[in-house]
Amino acid sequence: MNEALHRLKAERIERSLAVLDPMHFEAVIEGTMLAGTHWFNILLHRHSLAPETADAMHAEFMSQGVRRKVGLHMASALAAIDEIEALRTTHVRGDMPNGPNAARRALACLAILREEAARSADVAGR
Amino acid sequence: MKIDAHVEKFRRFDDALARLRPDADYELWVWTAMNACVNLLNAALHRSGITDETDSFHTQVEGLYARPDRASGALTDAVHAPGDVMHAGQPALGTARTEAIARASSALALTAHVREPYVRGGQTPTASSAADWRRAYRMCVDELCSVLGVAVRG
Repeated sequence: MNEALHRLKAERIERSLAVLDPMHFEAVIEGTMLAGTHWFNILLHRHSLAPETADAMHAEFMSQGVRRKVGLHMASALAAIDEIEALRTTHVRGDMPNGPNAARRALACLAILREEAARSADVAGR
Repeated sequence: MKIDAHVEKFRRFDDALARLRPDADYELWVWTAMNACVNLLNAALHRSGITDETDSFHTQVEGLYARPDRASGALTDAVHAPGDVMHAGQPALGTARTEAIARASSALALTAHVREPYVRGGQTPTASSAADWRRAYRMCVDELCSVLGVAVRG
């Protein structure tokens, strides 16, 4: 998927997230994964770590070698998407306590991914 | 997870879904509908004795569970007989489903199949596709609620 479509979809999902609140913590966390994955893919494409024809679906399924390269080029974005994925296990597919706090944390991770994508665009002069 | 936890999660997903529009919010609408149904499906599978009602969570890896230590909050990987399913048919179940669960699973599959073109892909839904999604969601929820004997919003 090209960058323009990733951005369009990430921004639409973020608008959808805005009508929910942290009491819908499972849906919020899932939405941050969906939107965050689009920002993450923009970064992967900009760093030439994945072509537009091969989007990453889940960061944990990238090969160990690719994850090492991603960790070097975009460490904070990788940490943010990994944290969102971890929250899906504990609070979406699991019932660990403090769901609304988990949703707020997922939203903070999404903000990191969005800001990293914006910073990358500034550096690239886009 | 336990049946009560699945039903609670279903109710929160269903409430979230009521705030979303399948046209303007289609990515999150589809994903939320699918998650709502998967929770009801797990509750119905546990209630029917087809899968085990375990205190473990399905991970992103099919057949791999995370077992929580409720005191410390730590998770330990576990492989065991099917507890929660990640999606209908993942993991595959050896025990035959009831007719109601089979019908619900077919309706859920319709929602799951639109993830690729509309959520991960760039396809835009038409008015009729949104109506089809709503119909599949309602069918899945009605079938599973009948198995569980729980009421949902009208």
